[in-house]
Amino acid sequence: MNSLRSLGARALSASLLAAAMTCAHAKTPDDQLIIGVSMNNLLTLDPASATGNNVVEIACNVYDYLVELDANDPTRLLPGLAQEWTIAPDGRRISFKLRSEARFHSGNPVTAEDAAWSFRRVLKLNLAMASPWKSYGFTAKNIDQLIRATDAATLVIDLPQPTDPKIVLYTLGTSVSAVILDRKTVLEHDKNGDMGAAWLTTHAAGSGPFVLDEWRAKEVLIMSRYTRYWREPPKMRRVIMRHMTESQSLRLMLTRGDLDMATGLSVPDIEALKRNPEIDVHSVKRGTLYYVAVSAKDPKFADKRVREAVLRKLVDFDGINKSVMPYYGVYHQRPVPLGLTATLPEPGYQFDVVAARKLLADAGMPNGFKTTIRVVAESPFTNIATNLQSTLAKAGIDASILPGTGNQVYGAMRERNFEIIVGRGGGGAEPHPHSSLRALVYNPDNRDAAKLTNFQGWRTSFSDPELNQLIEGGLTQRDEKKQTELYVEAQRAFDADVPAIQPVSQMVDTVVLRKDILNYVGHPSVTTRLREVSKQR
Amino acid sequence: MSALPQSPPSAPRRPSPGSRHLRLAGQRLFSVLLTLLGLLLLTFLIGRVMPLDPVLSIVGPDADRSTYQQVYHQLGLDRPIVVQFGYYLRDLLQGDFGNALLTGHPVTEDLARVLPATIELATLAIIVGTLLGVPLGVYAATRRGRLGDHAVRLISLMGHSTPIFWLGMMGLLVFYAWLGWAGGLGRVDFAYDGLVKPVTGLLLFDSALVGEWAVFGSALKHVMLPACILGLHSMAYISRMTRSFMLSQLSQEYILTARVKGLPERTVIWRHAFRNILVQLLTIVALAYGGLLEGAVLIETVFGWPGFGSYLTSSLLLGDMNAVMGSVLVVGTVFVALNLLSDALYQVFDPRTRQ
Repeated sequence: MNSLRSLGARALSASLLAAAMTCAHAKTPDDQLIIGVSMNNLLTLDPASATGNNVVEIACNVYDYLVELDANDPTRLLPGLAQEWTIAPDGRRISFKLRSEARFHSGNPVTAEDAAWSFRRVLKLNLAMASPWKSYGFTAKNIDQLIRATDAATLVIDLPQPTDPKIVLYTLGTSVSAVILDRKTVLEHDKNGDMGAAWLTTHAAGSGPFVLDEWRAKEVLIMSRYTRYWREPPKMRRVIMRHMTESQSLRLMLTRGDLDMATGLSVPDIEALKRNPEIDVHSVKRGTLYYVAVSAKDPKFADKRVREAVLRKLVDFDGINKSVMPYYGVYHQRPVPLGLTATLPEPGYQFDVVAARKLLADAGMPNGFKTTIRVVAESPFTNIATNLQSTLAKAGIDASILPGTGNQVYGAMRERNFEIIVGRGGGGAEPHPHSSLRALVYNPDNRDAAKLTNFQGWRTSFSDPELNQLIEGGLTQRDEKKQTELYVEAQRAFDADVPAIQPVSQMVDTVVLRKDILNYVGHPSVTTRLREVSKQR
Repeated sequence: MSALPQSPPSAPRRPSPGSRHLRLAGQRLFSVLLTLLGLLLLTFLIGRVMPLDPVLSIVGPDADRSTYQQVYHQLGLDRPIVVQFGYYLRDLLQGDFGNALLTGHPVTEDLARVLPATIELATLAIIVGTLLGVPLGVYAATRRGRLGDHAVRLISLMGHSTPIFWLGMMGLLVFYAWLGWAGGLGRVDFAYDGLVKPVTGLLLFDSALVGEWAVFGSALKHVMLPACILGLHSMAYISRMTRSFMLSQLSQEYILTARVKGLPERTVIWRHAFRNILVQLLTIVALAYGGLLEGAVLIETVFGWPGFGSYLTSSLLLGDMNAVMGSVLVVGTVFVALNLLSDALYQVFDPRTRQ
């Protein structure tokens, strides 16, 4: 039956390729960029509440940030609306000088007061995107004193607690909550003191290279060139993002030339498109990690030996990364993403049934046990889960897979109501070890009542005071060498402690685009800017 | 105290036809409202026990507790369920369906946008399905047990059992990728997107109204393939039902009498037998149409069609109860309206029901 299915899939694949080769090409307009993308997770455009990657890709083209991160070297900061910035010797104050020529789409000048108001708004609304700012100690109460405009062009940010200012700058260059809003325009749409939240759900008030024309949820988003942009105006007159979820439909449209770019294609479709001479495939590493996690609250997994058996000996890291993860992720086992100075070489955990059986026997479970794996019902999560199910079975662990939506799976994790989970997360937008360590490992209060649901460390019920201290120490250490040492030590402690979460792969985002698209540079922090993109026709 | 003049005892009065109709209409209206209320209550309760958390959909998986609690409160989820339902009904009676989490727009606005897209698709599909299904069903009935009957059965079986998703993909491959006859995904070519301001939301109609014939042509090219595939699916059902209705009529004595009288076979079939199945057929077509309105989700997914089926499914997966309740109300109303319409048509076509 499987071979029949496989034959059918190959036949379909071959015929699609044949179609691709024989069909007459339609062409998208020369001055418009047409992108096919799944916008399933795009629920709002409000920078204070919008989560997920979709909105970052839009926000960085409609709004400006104070600073930008170089797409080729994300640790390098580039000027944005701020033409220069200085960090006080004690590291507790960052001052920005804003450029005077920038104008919002409304024609209003961009001022430091707009910038201060934009940040205050995020904290005062206390919605999803307040999270990074709260982690640096900002609150709705202290924000007015800590972030302020000293004149029309000078913005001052005082850090409420000792924090490496680098990571704050990285957040300012990557988080959607750091975009600068046109205060006057937003306040014109204030409704019952909501600071324009209802209006900003479907509108934008920025100064970026593109103006948001229209967003119809799960249908289309249209942006057009902002001709008065303070940099050179974008090459493309319009950018149209079409909501499309079917990989084969995307593939057909790309090959026919009805789309310029697409994301979210399946591996067989990407493989097939790679053979098309008119198509390019770009993959960009993100800081996010795919992981397998267990609940240390569960008596089975409270035992370090069982965690080691399940998370380090019974995960087929090589097999998963070779067969499941191409175009989704690359081999990585550390809680700190690849490409950072502090990242240690891979520890080389290997699938080893004999060692796993021994560990389980030592823990008093020589015959394994029954358990469940919660997983989001989409690729590559389900593929990782089925692979894990089969390798666990080799050591006598009978795991049932419980597929669900992201809401159901991560909802259960937030409630600490799971045994094993295959997931993705861990911050990583900021190119700083703290970003991932904080999201994946840090857990300052392991009590149920603490409800630190934003920390995956808390969700897995694992807490190690020494590891927490190292993570906290790294964040406050300004000497780069010492800071690196602390993060190296934290990774070694992670090795030794066997926490309840184990990275399997580092996320890769793959974009397929037609060869005549020039200057597209995918950004590791998702802030992919389209202002330089053009077509060679 | 003077005695009032006694009125002579009168015979019990029979209600006039007008008041009888009024009473019947009142009863029907009451039963419709009760049905819709029951449907809403059931959907509301199911929505509350579903393992989906609308708060999490809004705040994302990494939000902290205080943000979560704040949104939980803003959505009114901290109130008792009965109170929540009461507030919902109160707003509903004022025409306020609430805002959709999915789009940030009022649900009524969303429905006004997605429903016409599906109505356009489903209407064309039902026309295709009926125009093909009815003659095929009649033909099969008149060739019972013969090759023609088997051929129609085979076509119906294939139309009904082939996954519509697969048909959609194959249709795109052949008619869009190979031949270039169909218009690909979406309702219109990207270049025409947003050129015609929606009046009815039916793009074919709106573009014709303002004389945008290029947009009309593009929209027609885009809608034909998904409509034909959906129509093929309906055709299978309609043809099987037509065959079955026709067979029951063709075995009646009046058909025998008509044949004995020497009427041409065509007249016997179309004027006598077919005319008598019209009422049942209308019900079937109406229900098939209703099914298309809410069940076109797979074809909408394959063809990137921003319609009602996709909207309902996405809302459901998100736990977006305002959107789900609004959509369910629309589906319920459509089915009730179609039932009422089919009852009314019974009265038009079948004189016995007028008694």
